Amino acid sequence: MHERLSFHIKRDSVLHRLNPLTKLTLVLALIMVAFTSPWYWTPHLLFLFVIIPLSFIGKVFREFFFAATRLILPAAGFLFLMQAFFQPIGEHVIFKFYFLDITQESLMFAFKNAMRVIVMVSSFTLFLLTTHPSELMSDLTRRGLPGQFAYVIISTLQILPQIQSKSQTIISAQRSRGLDTEGNFFKRAGSLVPLVGPLVFGSLVEVEERAIAIEARGFTSKSIKTSLYEIADTSFEKIIRWGLIIIIILSIVLNIWL
Amino acid sequence: MKIEINDLRFTYPTGLEALQGISLTIEAGEQVAIVGQNGAGKTTLVRHFNGLLQPSSGSVLIGEWDTKKHSVAKLASRVGYVFQNPDEQLFSKDVGTEIRFGPRNLGYSKEKIDELVTRALSLTELSDKTDTNPYDLSPTWRKMAALASVIAMDTPIVIFDEPTTGQDAVNVARIANVIAELRKEGKTVITITHDIDFCAENFDRVIALSNGKILLDGSARDVLGQEEILAQTYVDPPQLTRLGKRLGLKETVRNQDEFLKALK
Ligand SMILES: Nc1ncnc2c1ncn2[C@@H]1O[C@H](COP(=O)(O)OP(=O)(O)O)[C@@H](O)[C@H]1O
Ligand SMILES: [Mg+2]
Repeated sequence: MHERLSFHIKRDSVLHRLNPLTKLTLVLALIMVAFTSPWYWTPHLLFLFVIIPLSFIGKVFREFFFAATRLILPAAGFLFLMQAFFQPIGEHVIFKFYFLDITQESLMFAFKNAMRVIVMVSSFTLFLLTTHPSELMSDLTRRGLPGQFAYVIISTLQILPQIQSKSQTIISAQRSRGLDTEGNFFKRAGSLVPLVGPLVFGSLVEVEERAIAIEARGFTSKSIKTSLYEIADTSFEKIIRWGLIIIIILSIVLNIWL
Repeated sequence: MKIEINDLRFTYPTGLEALQGISLTIEAGEQVAIVGQNGAGKTTLVRHFNGLLQPSSGSVLIGEWDTKKHSVAKLASRVGYVFQNPDEQLFSKDVGTEIRFGPRNLGYSKEKIDELVTRALSLTELSDKTDTNPYDLSPTWRKMAALASVIAMDTPIVIFDEPTTGQDAVNVARIANVIAELRKEGKTVITITHDIDFCAENFDRVIALSNGKILLDGSARDVLGQEEILAQTYVDPPQLTRLGKRLGLKETVRNQDEFLKALK
């Protein structure tokens, strides 16, 4: 079986070729600036003029768009509504809904916060789409991240796609034994209940087996390990990273100052 | 129930054309073994029989049903499919529930379900393990649970995907026994196998696949005699068949009885 074990989409683009740490720094910079910049329109502009163009540069616009409309927008929309309703600020009431006041200020505030979250999640999505998890981890361990840490991160990143592929398998098995999943909603939801057990249990068994497998290959050995993969890193990228860090610091300083 | 496959082609989303024009007819009650190297397309082929995969072109007819026009759940009343890997097939909390799952979905009466479940349990010798969680069974018994869960559905066509792979001799005999029982009931049995002795001893018809195409299709005697062609898909005829050839026996022999008879 060909399982997709990560969100990574294998394509050849500038974004794919960048060193993982550079991309990670870029994500961090986008998030920090979106959250700390004192200027109201910063997150909106970052999304429109940095993140969306980057998804084209990375040749993953289609997948990015898919994730954004299915996942990110609904979540951000929910956040927007919550904040617009329950933020007791401002005087310019636009309309009343029972005891809830919607003010111009609360709307503006909610819009900015929703946009910040969109920037955060979408830049991270873009990162996951263009970076193979094992490439990221090899690079980070090479730079001194403890192996155990890397293992935890990488298994976390893989949980969702794994559960997805496993539940597909089980659904196939159930349909093969006459379970009508095209019928009504309750029947379908009901058919998912028996999935939970095997999914969780299977995952636990897998974790144990994997732990044994990597230990058998000297995971906790203290000696210096060589890596099979060379991950490119140029001095140009180093400069970019420092530039990004300076931008982050500037944004924080401005935020405190103003 | 008759199976008719017409110029079946199938391409995976990865672009790999796993089936490249397969045509064959399997009559009701036939016992068919499918052999061929890993990746030949055996699993891909049988997954078309119950609609888990849909042809990229061509057609698959189960009785008069075109698999394109019927859901997997519907086709399950005609085709039972035992997965290659039981871990991908079992999901219930105990063996009893697991086996009831299929017949219950097919809407049989309570009495019929009880009868089918009891029979499946005794055929697979699982009767004392109904309360066990399938995950706590040894791989051998897990395989039997997977078998039982499908034969309890009492479908006219039963497919086994590599039932004997990784099984000990006792369990291979058990599986052969299940297949013999299904044959007695007049069911069509289609089995994918790498175990060529198992194939020679239990099946009348053998289909050899290679790279998504049918290499050989005929009686077990004819197909197992074609040593050179079978070699193309990395299948060796049974040792006795080869020995018979070396000894210059006129007939192709498949098992001990035939071998001894030919020697006399
Ligand atoms: N889900 C899938 N996606 C893409 N390719 C697949 C998938 N499943 C099988 N294949 C490929 O299709 C070919 C036939 O596979 P399969 O039918 O499983 O072979 P067999 O059962 O004969 O060993 C192989 O080359 C295999 O790698
Ligand atoms: Mg297979």
